[in-house]
Amino acid sequence: MSNGMYAGDSALEAHGLGMRYRRGWALKDCSFRLPAGRICGLVGPNGAGKTTLLSIMAHVLEPTEGTLSVFGAAPGSVDSGRTSFLTQEKPLFRGFSVAETLRLGQELNPGWDQRTAEDIVRAGDVPFDAKIGTLSGGQRTRVALALALGKRPDLLLLDEPMSDLDPVARKELTGTLLAEAAEHGTTVLMSTHVLAELENVCDYLVVLSGGGVRLAGDVDELLSVHTMVTGAKEGEDLPASLAHHPLVESRISGRQFTALIRPDSPATGPWETDKPSMEELLLAYLRSPDALPLITPTAQAQDQDQAYNTRTVAA
Amino acid sequence: MSSLTSTSTTTKSGAPGTTGTGRLPQLRQPLSGMTWLVWRQHRAVFWTILGASALAVAFIVFQRSQLHTAGYDPTSTGLRLMPILLGVLLGAPLFTGDLENGTAKLVVTQSMSRTRWLTTKLALTALVVVVSTVALSVAFGWWWTLYDESTAWEWTSGPTFNNTGPMPVALALFSVFGGVAIGVVLRRTLVAMVVTLGFTVVVQIVWSHFLAHFLLSLANVVTITTNKGVTFQHVMPTLPPGAHQVNWSNPPYITSDGKLLGWGTCNEVQTEQAHELCMKKADVVGWSVDYLPISQMNGLQWFGASILLALTAAVTAFLFFWGRKRLV
Repeated sequence: MSNGMYAGDSALEAHGLGMRYRRGWALKDCSFRLPAGRICGLVGPNGAGKTTLLSIMAHVLEPTEGTLSVFGAAPGSVDSGRTSFLTQEKPLFRGFSVAETLRLGQELNPGWDQRTAEDIVRAGDVPFDAKIGTLSGGQRTRVALALALGKRPDLLLLDEPMSDLDPVARKELTGTLLAEAAEHGTTVLMSTHVLAELENVCDYLVVLSGGGVRLAGDVDELLSVHTMVTGAKEGEDLPASLAHHPLVESRISGRQFTALIRPDSPATGPWETDKPSMEELLLAYLRSPDALPLITPTAQAQDQDQAYNTRTVAA
Repeated sequence: MSSLTSTSTTTKSGAPGTTGTGRLPQLRQPLSGMTWLVWRQHRAVFWTILGASALAVAFIVFQRSQLHTAGYDPTSTGLRLMPILLGVLLGAPLFTGDLENGTAKLVVTQSMSRTRWLTTKLALTALVVVVSTVALSVAFGWWWTLYDESTAWEWTSGPTFNNTGPMPVALALFSVFGGVAIGVVLRRTLVAMVVTLGFTVVVQIVWSHFLAHFLLSLANVVTITTNKGVTFQHVMPTLPPGAHQVNWSNPPYITSDGKLLGWGTCNEVQTEQAHELCMKKADVVGWSVDYLPISQMNGLQWFGASILLALTAAVTAFLFFWGRKRLV
């Protein structure tokens, strides 16, 4: 739904983003675009640069090279009130009460929405006079989320938001998050390594690996350009007739092979084809760091529009 | 006006109590924005410092008003330790706590700039330090003006010079801001506190040397001369209250033609008559004593304080330079 509506509007645009720490490059030549109003999953193995990328977007870090624009402006330059960042550790002042934590949001953010924040806290039955230090992990995440959403951000950045929660709290908070995002048209970029969870949450994906973008685009589009092929193997390898299709990943078990391909013509042959699930797609890209990156047109950074065509045609 | 709009947004839909537990009470608070946050975060240490200073001031004022001098020396020692304590307990942990547990990220990702956060923290800290040290300095200075008549505490001595006037303020501010800078660079509370302890102690030592060997040499020496002779009891002329006699080895006797003679003059004689005769023979007409009058104290204190405050300003500039990028 948001696809057509926001097609022209970019929430995020990264051009050749790079970040070097003392031990090396955490992010290198990272270019992609996130249209406004999408719920985007940021996926990658540990150390892929997810937290670094989110921190640059939240204006916590400054990139070593490249540029990033958030709603058309440099992060933090115009109005940092448009972006909320919930870091992995979800830091809060332990000595503050829940009410005081919400007051922090109110005091430091001109567009603060106290009602939204209070409702999120209340929905979890978190007492307002409890000290943050006495709360459980789930309650603390809920308060941190209330703080992030009470700011009424246009862009919500979440770094492994649900990683330390039990499945029930996880489901509940994801629901809260999605409801809020849907109500206000918030763009959400959420890093996670729980792939199964992305399936019903995200409509956009960015896969980071080795500090670079491997895959970026609309979920439906990404799934539709890939085909899962299962069949009997020929000799020790894939059937030769499959070879002209760009291959993402193949695995052989027993007499069978399974391959994820990016066919440019219908891949017909003595095998079964199927649409991959999001998890299969992500796993294939995560396991094959050398596969050709795919960045769909809506995910192309604006001034590199031609790159997509040349890449796919050449492939 | 801003409070008006915030009230209207929080209560725009539904009366209090629609969700069962009601809205949080909207209290009118004296502090707002970043100032509220910084005060709330550090209120324990701020109140401790202000409370302890108030108690000390009350004690000093009481003693002074009773013309008592009991407790003067411990108090002066306490005041000398104050910059060290403030540097270690207030300065060093000011940002390290936020850097260690990630709340720095929480604050800088709200809608206010990092510079605003840095400025507010430094300003409130400076305010607390200035208020407490000014009060103590004034009270202790008042006590000293009583003490200097009964005992010989000179204005040039560390316990007097560094504990009165603008000096306690400047020493404390420099120690605290130095501690803040150490904390911001080292990013670990415990390490920063230990290093700040070393830093503030060194500041004290260097400062006393600076005071004794440089600052006081800038003062104009005043000479008091007498013409009533020098008695066998060697009763020196009385110096003004609090004055500092310069260099005891200087010649203390003056002859009729203005020559100065040292302590050794007529030192060996045993009787009063012999001493008088000897002095007469040496043509000694009286004493000549060099001293630094107390009137110069204020000027030198302000000069010394301005040096320390300039250093503090340099540290502050560094903090802003460093903090713009690395304070997360």
